[in-house]
Amino acid sequence: MAQRLALQRLLSFPTRGPLASHGRAFGTSAGRRSTFNVQDGSDFQDRVVNSPKPVVVDFHAQWCGPCKILGPRLEKLVAKLEGKVLMAKVDIDDHTDLAIEYEVSAVPTVLAMKNGDIVDKFVGIKDEDQLEAFLKKLIGA
Amino acid sequence: GKNEYDLLVIGGGSGGLACAKEAAQFGRKVAVLDYVEPSPQGTTWGLGGTCVNVGCIPKKLMHQAALLGGALKDAHHYGWNISQPVHHSWSVMAQGVQNYVKSLNWGHRVQLQEKKVKYFNIKGSFSDPHTVRGLTKAGKETVVTADNIVIATGGRPKHPTHVAGALEYGITSDDLFWLKESPGKTLASFILDVSLECAGFLTGIGLDTTVMMRSMPLRGFDQASTEYLTSPYLANKLKDRFDYFYLLKKKCCRAPDTKTLNLETIGVKTNSETGKIIVDASEATSVPHIYAVGDVTEGRPELTPTAIAAGKLLAQRLFGQSSELMDYDNVPTTVFTPLEYGCVGLSEEAAVQRHGSDNIEVYHAYYRPLEFTVAERDATQCYMKMVCLREREQRILGLHFIGPNAGEVIQGFALGIKCGATYPQMMKTVGIHPTCAEEVTKLHITKRSGLDATVTGC
Repeated sequence: MAQRLALQRLLSFPTRGPLASHGRAFGTSAGRRSTFNVQDGSDFQDRVVNSPKPVVVDFHAQWCGPCKILGPRLEKLVAKLEGKVLMAKVDIDDHTDLAIEYEVSAVPTVLAMKNGDIVDKFVGIKDEDQLEAFLKKLIGA
Repeated sequence: GKNEYDLLVIGGGSGGLACAKEAAQFGRKVAVLDYVEPSPQGTTWGLGGTCVNVGCIPKKLMHQAALLGGALKDAHHYGWNISQPVHHSWSVMAQGVQNYVKSLNWGHRVQLQEKKVKYFNIKGSFSDPHTVRGLTKAGKETVVTADNIVIATGGRPKHPTHVAGALEYGITSDDLFWLKESPGKTLASFILDVSLECAGFLTGIGLDTTVMMRSMPLRGFDQASTEYLTSPYLANKLKDRFDYFYLLKKKCCRAPDTKTLNLETIGVKTNSETGKIIVDASEATSVPHIYAVGDVTEGRPELTPTAIAAGKLLAQRLFGQSSELMDYDNVPTTVFTPLEYGCVGLSEEAAVQRHGSDNIEVYHAYYRPLEFTVAERDATQCYMKMVCLREREQRILGLHFIGPNAGEVIQGFALGIKCGATYPQMMKTVGIHPTCAEEVTKLHITKRSGLDATVTGC
């Protein structure tokens, strides 16, 4: 227990050093492991486009009310799939060029990506059933 | 031709974006450069220019916050049970305002993308009349060439460099709207409409604010109207203090953003005193194929709607076979101080200068908004004035209104004045009752008569 906590403290919120630019928040829940915040364009290339697993990309913004509902809802369902699907979050104010490149116009926009291709997409809020179907299709297809 | 773009617009604000998007509608290849040099305090913002980020939009929203504070104070007169004193949280207001502004920044990016306008976040400068080069934030050099170039870089607050400490400790409107924490006790200096508006809403949300000015506020606006805005405003709203400071000889508080453009090298002429770009009626500069619109241009109103209209018309003339020029006459505007001042057309002073005091008639009235009665609000500054020609059809030259919702009131009348409305026509227009605006249609006491101009009950 103590070892695990020490490891957490060592790895969480680095502000300096080689890990600072990645800023990954590590945690103990499966949900946090399968969800991450995209840091920049090359991070998106590495962890989304080149991901061996399918990735759900959640384009969101601070000023977007529906995003604040959809985000946690989607995250919860992705966590239930225990690593079969990953979730990448992109704040469009921080990564405007990336969002524009992927033709996002309204938020939330969620892309389903597999082997670097966009295989599915939706815009706006969805309920849990609709999200489950969306995720199922992504894994199944 | 050999240039990469049909049109390059430098500056992604009201004028620049309107021009770029309009040109793109004609199927032209258009690029926009936008770059925000951080303020001395380090504040910066996204696409959209002054209006969206540090002007009209956040200003009006914070003005609204202050008005709501006033409404809360009035509410108990109307039966609401609200425990006093009511507190205001700057950080909650600021977050709401800043989030909305960010959504507008995003909206502009999407619009450019949809209209296929190429966007560069670089600070450009001319290397020749058809070439602009600049560095990205990462330091990468980009070169853009275009057949036509429009300079729409706007203006920025000018810091008084000879006042010790102003740069280090002072903030401007650039910074005020992006503060996450309350500015606290404030001294607002260098009176432009924006400073009065800021001082106004800061007071309205409960902050200790003092206004410091040299002689008269709002130079260029109707004198009597603006006196009502400031003296009782200061007496009543700003803790009964009114200090005059003889501070600066120069009145100019915003300067055009042209220093780094390298205009001298390519021969674009600017006004030696203001630094603004000199343009003719078609927004052309001294260099062929280089134009300018918006706050950066000499002699133009510093307003978003005129920049937008001028930008659109310019694009239509360049690429749409139009010959229509921008009409800068009778442009309505409003100062959003706690008690707002809206106007269209000539001030009394300008009318006297142009036509002579014998040839104009000034109608005026002191009125009381109905909403102020039950709330026991002071209405002594609620005033309106209509300046007309005295002869023949008595055309209306200017209309001035101080009161709540002044912008909404004046907007409709601007159409009438644009169409050459006359005093008899105004008298034939039936008022809507009960409103403040209806009093405009009933103006009949002249200044010349010396009679009491207070409106009596209905």
